[in-house]
Amino acid sequence: MMRRRMVFAFLAPALLLYLGFLILPAVQAFYLSFYDTSGFGDTAEWVGLSNYATLWGDSVFWRAMRNMALIMFVGGVATFGLAFLFTMLMNAGMKGKKLFRTLIFMPNVIAVVAITTFWSFVFMPRYGMLTSFLKAIGLDGIASTAWTAPENVFYAMMVGLVWISVGFYTILIMAGADKIPADMYEAARLEGASTFQIFRQITLPMIWDVILITLILWAIQAVKIVEFPYAFGGPNIDQNLYTPAIYLYIMGFGQRESVYALGYSTTIGVVMFFLTIAIIVLMRFLFRRERVEF
Amino acid sequence: MSDFISARGIKRCVSYLVVGGWALFSVFFVVWVVLASLKRNRELFGSPLSIPTSPQWGNFVKTWVNNRFGDYFINSLLVTSVSVIAILIVAVPAAYVLSRGRFRGREALSSFFAFGMGVPFPLLFVPLFVMMASMRLADTLTGLTIVYVALSIPFTIYVLEGFFSSLPSELESAAIIDGCSDVQVFRHVMLPLAGPGVATVAILNFVGLWNEYQLSLVLINSPENRTLSLGIYSLITSMQYSGGDWASLFAGVTIVMVPTLILFVILSEKMISGITMGGVK
Repeated sequence: MMRRRMVFAFLAPALLLYLGFLILPAVQAFYLSFYDTSGFGDTAEWVGLSNYATLWGDSVFWRAMRNMALIMFVGGVATFGLAFLFTMLMNAGMKGKKLFRTLIFMPNVIAVVAITTFWSFVFMPRYGMLTSFLKAIGLDGIASTAWTAPENVFYAMMVGLVWISVGFYTILIMAGADKIPADMYEAARLEGASTFQIFRQITLPMIWDVILITLILWAIQAVKIVEFPYAFGGPNIDQNLYTPAIYLYIMGFGQRESVYALGYSTTIGVVMFFLTIAIIVLMRFLFRRERVEF
Repeated sequence: MSDFISARGIKRCVSYLVVGGWALFSVFFVVWVVLASLKRNRELFGSPLSIPTSPQWGNFVKTWVNNRFGDYFINSLLVTSVSVIAILIVAVPAAYVLSRGRFRGREALSSFFAFGMGVPFPLLFVPLFVMMASMRLADTLTGLTIVYVALSIPFTIYVLEGFFSSLPSELESAAIIDGCSDVQVFRHVMLPLAGPGVATVAILNFVGLWNEYQLSLVLINSPENRTLSLGIYSLITSMQYSGGDWASLFAGVTIVMVPTLILFVILSEKMISGITMGGVK
Protein backbone atom coordinates (compact mmCIF):
# COMPACT_ATOMS: atom_id res chain seq x y z
CA MET A 1 0.00 0.00 0.00
CA MET A 2 0.92 3.64 -0.14
CA ARG A 3 3.44 4.72 2.44
CA ARG A 4 2.91 7.91 4.37
CA ARG A 5 6.14 9.24 2.95
CA MET A 6 4.84 8.92 -0.59
CA VAL A 7 1.50 10.53 0.26
CA PHE A 8 3.37 13.43 1.77
CA ALA A 9 5.90 13.80 -1.04
CA PHE A 10 3.23 13.65 -3.73
CA LEU A 11 1.00 16.20 -2.06
CA ALA A 12 3.52 18.68 -0.71
CA PRO A 13 4.47 20.64 -3.87
CA ALA A 14 0.86 21.19 -4.96
CA LEU A 15 -0.24 22.05 -1.45
CA LEU A 16 2.60 24.53 -0.90
CA LEU A 17 1.95 26.38 -4.16
CA TYR A 18 -1.78 26.39 -3.52
CA LEU A 19 -1.38 27.66 0.03
CA GLY A 20 1.29 30.20 -0.84
CA PHE A 21 -0.15 31.74 -3.99
CA LEU A 22 -3.88 31.24 -3.70
CA ILE A 23 -5.01 30.74 -0.10
CA LEU A 24 -2.51 33.15 1.47
CA PRO A 25 -3.30 36.04 -0.92
CA ALA A 26 -7.01 35.35 -0.45
CA VAL A 27 -6.57 35.69 3.32
CA GLN A 28 -4.41 38.79 2.85
CA ALA A 29 -7.19 40.29 0.76
CA PHE A 30 -9.54 40.23 3.75
CA TYR A 31 -6.88 41.82 5.90
CA LEU A 32 -6.09 44.48 3.29
CA SER A 33 -9.72 45.50 3.02
CA PHE A 34 -9.46 47.01 6.52
CA TYR A 35 -6.54 49.23 5.53
CA ASP A 36 -5.91 52.33 3.51
CA THR A 37 -2.72 51.88 1.52
CA SER A 38 -1.14 52.62 -1.82
CA GLY A 39 1.31 49.79 -1.31
CA PHE A 40 4.54 51.54 -2.20
CA GLY A 41 6.55 52.29 0.89
CA ASP A 42 3.84 54.12 2.77
CA THR A 43 2.58 52.47 5.93
CA ALA A 44 -0.86 51.00 5.71
CA GLU A 45 -3.35 52.76 7.92
CA TRP A 46 -6.01 50.76 9.75
CA VAL A 47 -9.39 52.17 8.80
CA GLY A 48 -11.70 49.47 10.09
CA LEU A 49 -14.85 49.12 8.05
CA SER A 50 -14.49 52.51 6.41
CA ASN A 51 -13.64 51.01 2.99
CA TYR A 52 -16.89 49.06 3.14
CA ALA A 53 -18.83 52.15 4.17
CA THR A 54 -17.35 54.17 1.31
CA LEU A 55 -18.14 51.37 -1.11
CA TRP A 56 -21.75 51.31 0.05
CA GLY A 57 -22.13 54.96 -0.93
CA ASP A 58 -20.08 54.75 -4.14
CA SER A 59 -22.33 55.23 -7.15
CA VAL A 60 -19.74 53.87 -9.58
CA PHE A 61 -19.63 50.64 -7.61
CA TRP A 62 -23.41 50.33 -7.76
CA ARG A 63 -23.37 50.94 -11.47
CA ALA A 64 -20.84 48.12 -11.78
CA MET A 65 -23.10 45.93 -9.64
CA ARG A 66 -26.04 46.77 -11.87
CA ASN A 67 -24.05 45.79 -14.95
CA MET A 68 -23.10 42.55 -13.24
CA ALA A 69 -26.77 41.84 -12.54
CA LEU A 70 -27.67 42.64 -16.15
CA ILE A 71 -25.03 40.20 -17.39
CA MET A 72 -26.29 37.59 -14.94
CA PHE A 73 -29.99 37.91 -15.79
CA VAL A 74 -30.36 39.41 -19.29
CA GLY A 75 -27.21 37.72 -20.58
CA GLY A 76 -28.19 34.56 -18.72
CA VAL A 77 -31.64 34.37 -20.28
CA ALA A 78 -30.15 34.91 -23.75
CA THR A 79 -27.33 32.42 -23.23
CA PHE A 80 -29.39 29.65 -21.68
CA GLY A 81 -32.32 30.25 -24.02
CA LEU A 82 -30.09 29.74 -27.03
CA ALA A 83 -28.20 26.85 -25.44
CA PHE A 84 -31.50 25.09 -24.67
CA LEU A 85 -32.78 25.80 -28.16
CA PHE A 86 -29.67 24.31 -29.79
CA THR A 87 -29.71 21.29 -27.48
CA MET A 88 -33.37 20.69 -28.26
CA LEU A 89 -32.96 21.02 -32.02
CA MET A 90 -29.78 18.95 -32.19
CA ASN A 91 -31.30 16.18 -30.07
CA ALA A 92 -34.34 15.99 -32.35
CA GLY A 93 -32.30 13.80 -34.67
CA MET A 94 -30.16 16.25 -36.59
CA LYS A 95 -27.33 14.86 -38.66
CA GLY A 96 -23.86 16.25 -38.09
CA LYS A 97 -24.60 17.00 -34.43
CA LYS A 98 -20.96 16.60 -33.46
CA LEU A 99 -19.71 18.97 -36.13
CA PHE A 100 -22.26 21.63 -35.23
CA ARG A 101 -21.47 21.29 -31.55
CA THR A 102 -17.74 21.63 -32.23
CA LEU A 103 -18.20 24.74 -34.38
CA ILE A 104 -20.58 26.38 -31.90
CA PHE A 105 -18.00 25.83 -29.16
CA MET A 106 -15.04 27.03 -31.23
CA PRO A 107 -14.94 30.73 -30.18
CA ASN A 108 -14.13 29.52 -26.66
CA VAL A 109 -10.62 28.43 -27.62
CA ILE A 110 -9.80 31.85 -29.07
CA ALA A 111 -8.22 34.58 -26.93
CA VAL A 112 -10.80 36.98 -25.50
CA VAL A 113 -8.86 39.99 -26.81
CA ALA A 114 -9.05 38.54 -30.31
CA ILE A 115 -12.81 38.16 -30.04
CA THR A 116 -13.37 41.63 -28.63
CA THR A 117 -11.22 43.19 -31.37
CA PHE A 118 -13.52 41.65 -33.94
CA TRP A 119 -16.66 42.90 -32.17
CA SER A 120 -15.14 46.37 -31.75
CA PHE A 121 -14.73 46.47 -35.51
CA VAL A 122 -18.30 45.28 -36.00
CA PHE A 123 -19.76 47.99 -33.76
CA MET A 124 -17.33 50.78 -34.69
CA PRO A 125 -19.12 54.08 -35.23
CA ARG A 126 -19.54 55.15 -38.86
CA TYR A 127 -17.06 52.73 -40.48
CA GLY A 128 -17.95 49.56 -38.61
CA MET A 129 -19.02 46.33 -40.26
CA LEU A 130 -22.55 46.49 -38.89
CA THR A 131 -23.02 50.04 -40.18
CA SER A 132 -21.75 49.18 -43.68
CA PHE A 133 -23.89 46.05 -43.71
CA LEU A 134 -27.04 47.95 -42.73
CA LYS A 135 -26.30 50.60 -45.33
CA ALA A 136 -25.79 47.94 -47.98
CA ILE A 137 -29.25 46.49 -47.36
CA GLY A 138 -30.79 49.95 -47.36
CA LEU A 139 -31.49 50.41 -43.66
CA ASP A 140 -29.78 53.79 -43.44
CA GLY A 141 -32.00 54.81 -40.55
CA ILE A 142 -30.69 52.11 -38.21
CA ALA A 143 -27.22 52.28 -39.76
CA SER A 144 -26.57 55.67 -38.22
CA THR A 145 -27.01 54.29 -34.68
CA ALA A 146 -23.93 54.89 -32.55
CA TRP A 147 -23.48 51.38 -31.20
CA THR A 148 -20.64 52.35 -28.90
CA ALA A 149 -22.34 55.43 -27.49
CA PRO A 150 -22.70 55.33 -23.68
CA GLU A 151 -26.32 54.23 -23.83
CA ASN A 152 -25.65 51.35 -26.24
CA VAL A 153 -22.12 50.15 -25.54
CA PHE A 154 -23.11 47.75 -22.78
CA TYR A 155 -25.52 45.80 -24.97
CA ALA A 156 -23.06 45.84 -27.87
CA MET A 157 -20.60 44.15 -25.52
CA MET A 158 -23.28 41.72 -24.38
CA VAL A 159 -23.82 40.50 -27.96
CA GLY A 160 -20.25 39.26 -28.20
CA LEU A 161 -20.28 37.90 -24.66
CA VAL A 162 -23.45 35.90 -25.26
CA TRP A 163 -22.02 34.64 -28.54
CA ILE A 164 -19.07 32.91 -26.89
CA SER A 165 -21.03 31.87 -23.78
CA VAL A 166 -23.69 30.07 -25.81
CA GLY A 167 -20.99 27.78 -27.21
CA PHE A 168 -19.66 26.95 -23.78
CA TYR A 169 -23.01 26.26 -22.12
CA THR A 170 -24.39 24.35 -25.10
CA ILE A 171 -21.68 21.70 -24.83
CA LEU A 172 -22.22 21.37 -21.07
CA ILE A 173 -25.99 20.99 -21.42
CA MET A 174 -25.66 18.65 -24.39
CA ALA A 175 -23.21 16.46 -22.52
CA GLY A 176 -25.84 16.09 -19.82
CA ALA A 177 -28.57 15.35 -22.36
CA ASP A 178 -26.38 12.73 -24.08
CA LYS A 179 -26.46 10.63 -20.93
CA ILE A 180 -30.24 10.19 -21.18
CA PRO A 181 -31.04 6.72 -22.58
CA ALA A 182 -32.04 6.99 -26.24
CA ASP A 183 -35.04 4.66 -25.81
CA MET A 184 -36.75 7.27 -23.65
CA TYR A 185 -36.74 9.67 -26.57
CA GLU A 186 -37.89 6.99 -28.95
CA ALA A 187 -40.79 5.96 -26.74
CA ALA A 188 -41.90 9.59 -26.44
CA ARG A 189 -41.61 10.12 -30.15
CA LEU A 190 -43.69 7.01 -30.86
CA GLU A 191 -46.33 8.41 -28.53
CA GLY A 192 -46.39 11.48 -30.73
CA ALA A 193 -44.65 13.96 -28.45
CA SER A 194 -43.33 17.11 -30.12
CA THR A 195 -39.71 18.22 -30.00
CA PHE A 196 -40.56 20.86 -27.43
CA GLN A 197 -42.61 18.46 -25.33
CA ILE A 198 -39.77 15.96 -25.33
CA PHE A 199 -37.36 18.67 -24.24
CA ARG A 200 -39.72 19.97 -21.58
CA GLN A 201 -40.91 16.61 -20.19
CA ILE A 202 -37.84 14.42 -20.60
CA THR A 203 -34.61 16.29 -21.20
CA LEU A 204 -35.07 19.09 -18.66
CA PRO A 205 -36.08 16.95 -15.66
CA MET A 206 -33.47 14.31 -16.48
CA ILE A 207 -30.61 16.79 -16.56
CA TRP A 208 -31.80 18.95 -13.69
CA ASP A 209 -28.52 18.49 -11.80
CA VAL A 210 -26.49 19.53 -14.85
CA ILE A 211 -28.64 22.62 -15.29
CA LEU A 212 -28.18 23.56 -11.64
CA ILE A 213 -24.40 23.30 -11.98
CA THR A 214 -24.33 25.31 -15.22
CA LEU A 215 -26.55 28.02 -13.70
CA ILE A 216 -24.26 28.29 -10.68
CA LEU A 217 -21.26 28.40 -13.00
CA TRP A 218 -22.87 31.18 -15.03
CA ALA A 219 -23.73 33.25 -11.96
CA ILE A 220 -20.21 32.88 -10.56
CA GLN A 221 -18.70 33.87 -13.88
CA ALA A 222 -20.95 36.92 -14.04
CA VAL A 223 -19.72 38.01 -10.61
CA LYS A 224 -16.04 37.79 -11.52
CA ILE A 225 -16.08 38.79 -15.17
CA VAL A 226 -13.27 41.15 -16.23
CA GLU A 227 -11.71 40.19 -19.50
CA PHE A 228 -14.49 40.49 -22.07
CA PRO A 229 -15.97 43.88 -21.12
CA TYR A 230 -12.56 45.29 -20.24
CA ALA A 231 -10.97 44.38 -23.56
CA PHE A 232 -14.10 45.46 -25.45
CA GLY A 233 -13.98 48.83 -23.73
CA GLY A 234 -10.35 49.39 -24.69
CA PRO A 235 -8.35 52.26 -23.18
CA ASN A 236 -10.52 54.88 -21.47
CA ILE A 237 -13.19 52.26 -20.90
CA ASP A 238 -16.70 53.67 -20.55
CA GLN A 239 -18.16 53.39 -17.03
CA ASN A 240 -21.18 51.78 -18.61
CA LEU A 241 -18.99 48.72 -19.15
CA TYR A 242 -17.68 48.50 -15.59
CA THR A 243 -18.20 45.29 -13.68
CA PRO A 244 -17.17 45.01 -10.01
CA ALA A 245 -13.93 43.30 -11.03
CA ILE A 246 -13.12 45.97 -13.62
CA TYR A 247 -13.75 48.67 -11.02
CA LEU A 248 -11.50 46.72 -8.65
CA TYR A 249 -8.74 46.68 -11.25
CA ILE A 250 -9.12 50.35 -12.07
CA MET A 251 -9.11 51.44 -8.42
CA GLY A 252 -6.04 49.29 -7.79
CA PHE A 253 -3.94 49.77 -10.86
CA GLY A 254 -5.73 52.47 -12.75
CA GLN A 255 -5.71 53.32 -16.37
CA ARG A 256 -3.18 55.87 -17.52
CA GLU A 257 -3.01 57.63 -14.17
CA SER A 258 -2.90 54.92 -11.58
CA VAL A 259 -5.06 55.23 -8.51
CA TYR A 260 -3.36 52.63 -6.27
CA ALA A 261 -6.18 52.58 -3.74
CA LEU A 262 -5.14 49.05 -2.90
CA GLY A 263 -7.22 48.62 0.26
CA TYR A 264 -10.36 50.00 -1.32
CA SER A 265 -9.82 47.96 -4.46
CA THR A 266 -9.48 44.75 -2.48
CA THR A 267 -12.66 45.51 -0.56
CA ILE A 268 -14.52 45.05 -3.85
CA GLY A 269 -12.85 41.63 -4.21
CA VAL A 270 -14.05 40.62 -0.74
CA VAL A 271 -17.59 41.62 -1.66
CA MET A 272 -17.28 39.51 -4.83
CA PHE A 273 -16.11 36.55 -2.78
CA PHE A 274 -19.13 36.72 -0.47
CA LEU A 275 -21.44 37.19 -3.45
CA THR A 276 -20.03 33.99 -4.92
CA ILE A 277 -20.63 32.06 -1.71
CA ALA A 278 -24.13 33.53 -1.39
CA ILE A 279 -24.99 32.51 -4.94
CA ILE A 280 -23.86 28.93 -4.42
CA VAL A 281 -25.84 28.59 -1.18
CA LEU A 282 -28.93 30.33 -2.57
CA MET A 283 -29.03 28.35 -5.81
CA ARG A 284 -28.61 25.05 -4.00
CA PHE A 285 -31.49 26.02 -1.76
CA LEU A 286 -33.79 27.33 -4.52
CA PHE A 287 -33.25 24.40 -6.82
CA ARG A 288 -33.52 21.65 -4.25
CA ARG A 289 -35.16 18.79 -6.01
CA GLU A 290 -34.86 15.05 -6.08
CA ARG A 291 -32.25 13.93 -8.56
CA VAL A 292 -33.70 11.65 -11.18
CA GLU A 293 -31.91 8.34 -11.06
CA PHE A 294 -31.56 6.23 -14.17
CA MET B 1 -50.03 12.51 -45.01
CA SER B 2 -48.10 14.61 -47.50
CA ASP B 3 -49.03 17.68 -45.44
CA PHE B 4 -47.52 15.99 -42.41
CA ILE B 5 -44.31 15.19 -44.26
CA SER B 6 -43.84 18.68 -45.59
CA ALA B 7 -44.54 20.24 -42.20
CA ARG B 8 -41.89 17.99 -40.75
CA GLY B 9 -39.61 18.83 -43.63
CA ILE B 10 -39.97 22.54 -43.01
CA LYS B 11 -39.28 22.06 -39.33
CA ARG B 12 -36.12 20.15 -40.15
CA CYS B 13 -35.01 22.84 -42.57
CA VAL B 14 -35.51 25.49 -39.93
CA SER B 15 -33.50 23.44 -37.40
CA TYR B 16 -30.60 23.13 -39.81
CA LEU B 17 -30.81 26.80 -40.69
CA VAL B 18 -30.77 27.95 -37.07
CA VAL B 19 -28.10 25.59 -35.73
CA GLY B 20 -26.09 25.56 -38.97
CA GLY B 21 -26.26 29.33 -39.27
CA TRP B 22 -24.93 29.82 -35.76
CA ALA B 23 -22.19 27.24 -36.33
CA LEU B 24 -21.21 28.85 -39.65
CA PHE B 25 -20.80 32.19 -37.94
CA SER B 26 -17.83 30.71 -36.03
CA VAL B 27 -16.25 29.80 -39.35
CA PHE B 28 -17.08 33.22 -40.73
CA PHE B 29 -15.37 34.83 -37.75
CA VAL B 30 -12.09 32.99 -38.31
CA VAL B 31 -12.07 33.40 -42.08
CA TRP B 32 -13.02 37.07 -41.85
CA VAL B 33 -10.23 37.87 -39.36
CA VAL B 34 -7.62 36.13 -41.51
CA LEU B 35 -8.83 37.93 -44.65
CA ALA B 36 -8.93 41.25 -42.80
CA SER B 37 -5.30 40.77 -41.78
CA LEU B 38 -4.33 40.57 -45.46
CA LYS B 39 -6.10 43.71 -46.61
CA ARG B 40 -5.12 47.30 -47.04
CA ASN B 41 -6.87 49.51 -44.49
CA ARG B 42 -8.82 51.33 -47.17
CA GLU B 43 -10.08 48.01 -48.49
CA LEU B 44 -10.92 46.80 -44.98
CA PHE B 45 -13.15 49.78 -44.29
CA GLY B 46 -14.48 50.22 -47.82
CA SER B 47 -15.56 46.64 -48.42
CA PRO B 48 -15.28 44.67 -45.17
CA LEU B 49 -16.81 41.54 -46.68
CA SER B 50 -14.64 41.27 -49.78
CA ILE B 51 -11.69 39.00 -50.49
CA PRO B 52 -8.38 40.91 -50.50
CA THR B 53 -7.39 41.80 -54.07
CA SER B 54 -3.68 41.56 -53.40
CA PRO B 55 -2.78 39.91 -50.08
CA GLN B 56 -0.76 42.30 -47.92
CA TRP B 57 1.71 39.97 -46.25
CA GLY B 58 3.48 43.13 -45.18
CA ASN B 59 0.86 43.53 -42.43
CA PHE B 60 2.28 40.44 -40.75
CA VAL B 61 5.87 41.61 -41.16
CA LYS B 62 4.90 44.93 -39.63
CA THR B 63 3.10 43.35 -36.68
CA TRP B 64 5.71 40.64 -36.11
CA VAL B 65 8.76 42.94 -36.32
CA ASN B 66 7.79 46.59 -35.77
CA ASN B 67 5.04 45.90 -33.25
CA ARG B 68 7.20 43.22 -31.58
CA PHE B 69 4.68 40.42 -31.85
CA GLY B 70 7.61 38.09 -32.51
CA ASP B 71 8.84 38.77 -28.97
CA TYR B 72 5.32 38.51 -27.54
CA PHE B 73 4.83 35.20 -29.30
CA ILE B 74 7.99 33.80 -27.72
CA ASN B 75 6.93 35.15 -24.30
CA SER B 76 3.51 33.55 -24.60
CA LEU B 77 4.96 30.26 -25.79
CA LEU B 78 7.55 30.21 -23.01
CA VAL B 79 5.21 31.12 -20.16
CA THR B 80 2.46 28.80 -21.35
CA SER B 81 4.67 25.75 -22.00
CA VAL B 82 6.68 26.04 -18.81
CA SER B 83 3.49 26.57 -16.80
CA VAL B 84 1.77 23.54 -18.31
CA ILE B 85 4.76 21.28 -17.64
CA ALA B 86 5.05 22.55 -14.07
CA ILE B 87 1.31 22.13 -13.49
CA LEU B 88 1.51 18.50 -14.57
CA ILE B 89 4.58 17.80 -12.43
CA VAL B 90 2.84 19.21 -9.38
CA ALA B 91 -0.80 18.26 -9.90
CA VAL B 92 -0.61 14.72 -11.32
CA PRO B 93 1.02 13.14 -8.24
CA ALA B 94 -1.24 15.12 -5.91
CA ALA B 95 -4.39 14.08 -7.76
CA TYR B 96 -3.20 10.47 -7.77
CA VAL B 97 -2.70 10.38 -4.02
CA LEU B 98 -5.97 12.22 -3.42
CA SER B 99 -8.00 9.77 -5.47
CA ARG B 100 -6.22 6.43 -4.83
CA GLY B 101 -4.62 6.87 -1.45
CA ARG B 102 -6.17 5.90 1.86
CA PHE B 103 -5.31 8.30 4.62
CA ARG B 104 -7.15 10.40 7.14
CA GLY B 105 -8.36 13.77 5.89
CA ARG B 106 -8.17 12.76 2.24
CA GLU B 107 -11.67 13.93 1.39
CA ALA B 108 -11.27 17.12 3.36
CA LEU B 109 -8.06 17.90 1.52
CA SER B 110 -9.73 17.17 -1.78
CA SER B 111 -12.52 19.64 -1.03
CA PHE B 112 -9.97 22.14 0.20
CA PHE B 113 -8.31 22.07 -3.23
CA ALA B 114 -11.71 22.27 -4.96
CA PHE B 115 -12.51 25.36 -2.88
CA GLY B 116 -9.87 27.21 -4.93
CA MET B 117 -12.17 27.02 -7.96
CA GLY B 118 -14.69 29.16 -6.11
CA VAL B 119 -12.27 31.98 -5.32
CA PRO B 120 -12.79 34.82 -7.80
CA PHE B 121 -9.33 35.66 -9.16
CA PRO B 122 -9.89 39.45 -9.00
CA LEU B 123 -9.85 39.05 -5.19
CA LEU B 124 -6.19 38.07 -5.57
CA PHE B 125 -5.09 40.90 -7.90
CA VAL B 126 -3.78 43.27 -5.25
CA PRO B 127 -2.34 40.70 -2.79
CA LEU B 128 -0.57 38.84 -5.61
CA PHE B 129 0.82 42.07 -7.00
CA VAL B 130 2.12 43.13 -3.58
CA MET B 131 3.51 39.65 -2.92
CA MET B 132 5.27 39.50 -6.28
CA ALA B 133 6.69 42.98 -5.76
CA SER B 134 8.10 42.00 -2.35
CA MET B 135 9.69 38.88 -3.89
CA ARG B 136 11.12 41.01 -6.71
CA LEU B 137 9.09 38.94 -9.16
CA ALA B 138 6.66 41.66 -10.20
CA ASP B 139 6.76 42.35 -13.92
CA THR B 140 8.69 39.14 -14.66
CA LEU B 141 7.67 36.14 -16.69
CA THR B 142 8.90 33.93 -13.83
CA GLY B 143 6.43 35.56 -11.45
CA LEU B 144 3.62 35.21 -13.97
CA THR B 145 4.46 31.53 -14.46
CA ILE B 146 4.41 30.81 -10.71
CA VAL B 147 0.99 32.46 -10.40
CA TYR B 148 -0.33 30.56 -13.42
CA VAL B 149 0.80 27.25 -11.96
CA ALA B 150 -0.63 27.91 -8.50
CA LEU B 151 -3.98 29.16 -9.77
CA SER B 152 -4.38 26.25 -12.20
CA ILE B 153 -3.92 23.63 -9.48
CA PRO B 154 -7.55 23.40 -8.22
CA PHE B 155 -9.14 22.80 -11.62
CA THR B 156 -6.37 20.45 -12.77
CA ILE B 157 -6.50 18.32 -9.64
CA TYR B 158 -10.31 18.24 -9.80
CA VAL B 159 -10.37 16.89 -13.35
CA LEU B 160 -7.46 14.48 -12.80
CA GLU B 161 -9.06 13.00 -9.68
CA GLY B 162 -11.96 12.03 -11.89
CA PHE B 163 -9.62 10.25 -14.30
CA PHE B 164 -7.65 8.43 -11.62
CA SER B 165 -10.69 7.23 -9.72
CA SER B 166 -12.17 5.76 -12.92
CA LEU B 167 -9.17 3.42 -13.35
CA PRO B 168 -9.69 -0.24 -12.38
CA SER B 169 -8.10 -1.28 -9.09
CA GLU B 170 -7.30 -4.85 -10.28
CA LEU B 171 -4.16 -3.74 -12.09
CA GLU B 172 -3.02 -1.88 -9.02
CA SER B 173 -3.43 -4.98 -6.83
CA ALA B 174 -1.77 -7.21 -9.42
CA ALA B 175 1.24 -4.91 -9.56
CA ILE B 176 1.53 -4.90 -5.76
CA ILE B 177 1.36 -8.72 -5.68
CA ASP B 178 4.11 -8.78 -8.30
CA GLY B 179 6.27 -6.85 -5.85
CA CYS B 180 5.96 -3.30 -7.13
CA SER B 181 6.52 -0.56 -4.59
CA ASP B 182 3.91 2.20 -4.22
CA VAL B 183 5.93 4.62 -6.32
CA GLN B 184 6.48 1.95 -8.98
CA VAL B 185 2.75 1.26 -9.13
CA PHE B 186 2.19 4.95 -9.84
CA ARG B 187 5.07 5.28 -12.27
CA HIS B 188 4.63 2.09 -14.31
CA VAL B 189 0.97 1.16 -13.98
CA MET B 190 -1.34 4.02 -13.10
CA LEU B 191 0.44 6.90 -14.82
CA PRO B 192 0.43 5.26 -18.27
CA LEU B 193 -3.24 4.36 -17.79
CA ALA B 194 -4.06 7.95 -16.91
CA GLY B 195 -2.19 9.18 -19.99
CA PRO B 196 -5.28 10.36 -21.87
CA GLY B 197 -6.50 12.27 -18.83
CA VAL B 198 -3.12 13.91 -18.32
CA ALA B 199 -3.07 14.89 -21.99
CA THR B 200 -6.54 16.40 -21.66
CA VAL B 201 -5.66 18.64 -18.72
CA ALA B 202 -2.41 19.59 -20.47
CA ILE B 203 -4.30 20.80 -23.55
CA LEU B 204 -7.00 22.59 -21.56
CA ASN B 205 -4.41 24.40 -19.47
CA PHE B 206 -2.35 25.26 -22.53
CA VAL B 207 -5.31 26.85 -24.30
CA GLY B 208 -6.52 28.60 -21.15
CA LEU B 209 -3.13 30.08 -20.30
CA TRP B 210 -2.29 30.99 -23.90
CA ASN B 211 -5.43 33.11 -23.92
CA GLU B 212 -5.09 34.35 -20.32
CA TYR B 213 -5.32 38.05 -19.93
CA GLN B 214 -6.45 39.39 -16.54
CA LEU B 215 -3.54 38.15 -14.41
CA SER B 216 -0.94 39.18 -16.96
CA LEU B 217 -2.58 42.61 -17.10
CA VAL B 218 -2.04 42.96 -13.35
CA LEU B 219 1.42 41.43 -13.09
CA ILE B 220 3.19 42.50 -16.31
CA ASN B 221 4.13 46.06 -17.03
CA SER B 222 7.19 46.33 -19.30
CA PRO B 223 6.72 46.05 -23.05
CA GLU B 224 9.43 43.38 -23.36
CA ASN B 225 7.54 41.04 -21.03
CA ARG B 226 4.18 41.27 -22.75
CA THR B 227 2.31 38.17 -23.81
CA LEU B 228 0.34 38.15 -27.07
CA SER B 229 -2.96 39.17 -25.47
CA LEU B 230 -1.27 42.13 -23.76
CA GLY B 231 0.41 42.96 -27.06
CA ILE B 232 -2.92 43.23 -28.81
CA TYR B 233 -4.36 45.34 -26.01
CA SER B 234 -1.39 47.73 -26.11
CA LEU B 235 -1.62 47.94 -29.90
CA ILE B 236 -5.25 49.02 -29.52
CA THR B 237 -4.15 51.61 -26.95
CA SER B 238 -1.44 53.01 -29.20
CA MET B 239 -3.83 53.15 -32.16
CA GLN B 240 -5.70 55.84 -30.28
CA TYR B 241 -2.84 58.22 -31.00
CA SER B 242 -1.42 56.97 -34.26
CA GLY B 243 -4.70 56.40 -36.07
CA GLY B 244 -6.21 53.04 -36.78
CA ASP B 245 -4.06 50.49 -38.56
CA TRP B 246 -6.75 47.86 -38.14
CA ALA B 247 -5.28 45.54 -40.76
CA SER B 248 -2.07 45.11 -38.75
CA LEU B 249 -4.14 44.71 -35.61
CA PHE B 250 -6.00 41.84 -37.24
CA ALA B 251 -2.64 40.35 -38.23
CA GLY B 252 -1.89 40.33 -34.50
CA VAL B 253 -5.28 38.77 -33.78
CA THR B 254 -4.52 36.06 -36.35
CA ILE B 255 -1.17 35.37 -34.70
CA VAL B 256 -2.76 34.87 -31.27
CA MET B 257 -5.62 32.69 -32.47
CA VAL B 258 -3.96 30.36 -34.98
CA PRO B 259 -2.05 28.15 -32.47
CA THR B 260 -5.09 27.35 -30.32
CA LEU B 261 -7.25 26.88 -33.40
CA ILE B 262 -4.80 24.34 -34.81
CA LEU B 263 -4.88 22.49 -31.49
CA PHE B 264 -8.67 22.63 -31.55
CA VAL B 265 -8.94 21.28 -35.09
CA ILE B 266 -6.80 18.28 -34.12
CA LEU B 267 -8.08 17.74 -30.59
CA SER B 268 -11.59 19.19 -30.38
CA GLU B 269 -13.15 15.94 -29.15
CA LYS B 270 -10.63 15.61 -26.34
CA MET B 271 -11.01 19.23 -25.30
CA ILE B 272 -14.80 19.20 -25.30
CA SER B 273 -15.00 15.92 -23.38
CA GLY B 274 -12.48 17.24 -20.87
CA ILE B 275 -14.51 20.39 -20.23
CA THR B 276 -17.82 18.60 -19.99
CA MET B 277 -16.27 16.06 -17.61
CA GLY B 278 -15.02 18.85 -15.39
CA GLY B 279 -18.32 20.67 -15.48
CA VAL B 280 -20.95 17.98 -15.53
CA LYS B 281 -19.50 15.08 -13.56
